[in-house]
Amino acid sequence: MADVPQNAGYMVAAYIVTAVILLGYAVSLGRRSRNL
Amino acid sequence: MAELLRQAWAVARKDLVLELRTRTALVSAVVFTALVLTLFNFGRDPTAVPTLDLAPTVLWVTFTFAAMLTLNRAFQLELENQALEGLLVSPLSRTSLYWGKLIANLAFVAVVEAVGLPLFVLFFNVSVSRVLLPLVGVIALATLGFVAVGTLFSALVIRTRFAELLLLVILLPFLLPPLIGAVQVTARLLAGRPLSESVGYLKLLAAYDIVFVSLASFLFRFTVDE
Amino acid sequence: MSLVRRGRWITLVALVLLAGVYVRALAFTPIERLQGPAQKIFYLHVPAAIWTEAAMILVGLAGIFFLFLGDPRLDRFAEASAEVGTVFATIVLTTGPIWGKPIWGTWWTWDARLTSTLFLFFLYLGYLLVRGAVRDPGLRARYAAVLGICGMCLVPFIHLSVYLFRTLHPQPIILKPSGPSLPDSMLVTWLFSLLAFTLLYVGFVTQRYAVSLARDARETAAAEHG
Repeated sequence: MADVPQNAGYMVAAYIVTAVILLGYAVSLGRRSRNL
Repeated sequence: MAELLRQAWAVARKDLVLELRTRTALVSAVVFTALVLTLFNFGRDPTAVPTLDLAPTVLWVTFTFAAMLTLNRAFQLELENQALEGLLVSPLSRTSLYWGKLIANLAFVAVVEAVGLPLFVLFFNVSVSRVLLPLVGVIALATLGFVAVGTLFSALVIRTRFAELLLLVILLPFLLPPLIGAVQVTARLLAGRPLSESVGYLKLLAAYDIVFVSLASFLFRFTVDE
Repeated sequence: MSLVRRGRWITLVALVLLAGVYVRALAFTPIERLQGPAQKIFYLHVPAAIWTEAAMILVGLAGIFFLFLGDPRLDRFAEASAEVGTVFATIVLTTGPIWGKPIWGTWWTWDARLTSTLFLFFLYLGYLLVRGAVRDPGLRARYAAVLGICGMCLVPFIHLSVYLFRTLHPQPIILKPSGPSLPDSMLVTWLFSLLAFTLLYVGFVTQRYAVSLARDARETAAAEHG
């Protein structure tokens, strides 16, 4: 049986990028809605 | 209905007469077409890629650029001397104004394409005589689609800064389905494939035209009313 | 509770749920044998793609209702949905290539989802640019509605174009991105993720709506005192 590919690095990268985008937007919105 | 056509023709004729007098947009579009076609030829390595592969893309990119040039002037000339307000106060219905503009735009783009196609045949040494009729049909279908949307959007950007650039940006996603269809069918026609292979794309083009011509015609009133 | 606080709470809950999804996906969901750990990107990529498209459809629907009802709340909602949709599109367009590289060997693959999301991204961009370029609030709302409706109607054509291209040009498909029918454990993770993204959409839109509401109130006040 073939080995499972060793590409966890990509998985981690994608999860980090997503978190950065979402948290970044959440913070941006939080700041914008504070200075209403 | 007859009234609509009469009014639309009045608007179209005005635009056509104006353009024929100055001929600036038309001439620049034709010259631009020739320039782009020439450039494409010098940009490629004739030994690397068979001409037939690139040819449809080149043709349609050229047509699109030329169409953009004509669309940009569609409403710009109305901005001068508040001509647009004059049009709106007149008893012209909004829909016939749209159709008039659409007809005029189609006429301009058709002239550019009528010049561009022979140039294309000449520069790229492709044979279109056997498929001329279907080719013209595809060109007409695709052009109608994106000029219809472009005419609507050119009214949208009229009062904005960087209007020409904005027009291109918002129009871009709407150009893709008709262009994809056009390029694919053109490629098949030039390669001598039977028309039956292009049926899916032809349906795409037809459906796009039906949907967006109606939609643009209907939505136009919201772009010019105060 | 004010709109802002409600939005913040929903977002907070959504982020906590997302954190839970992260833990479950990374540590407690089995690794797919053919694709390896990188397959888990799917748990974020697909829900984001679903909401990218749903957000655009909602922008279009809000536009239709706005043109007929004239309620500015619909316009504010459309503005908020477009911005949030753009954020989700960014997630799809970044996680997509990161997933594509180990699985297909190239950063960009013209696969159906990625291509459609790219088109949607351009649509969103155009929509937000038009909103930014028009000063007058009434005009802005109407123009945005027109563009939003056109954008929503373009979505099926995007899918059709991509579908035609793929079926008529079979791609060498090595691995299907979502794999064969999902085993239960993976399905559960995916569903939780979809829930998290749904709540994120709601929370973000609520907050963004509140921002628009405050800006509109400021503009009206300035206009009255100006």
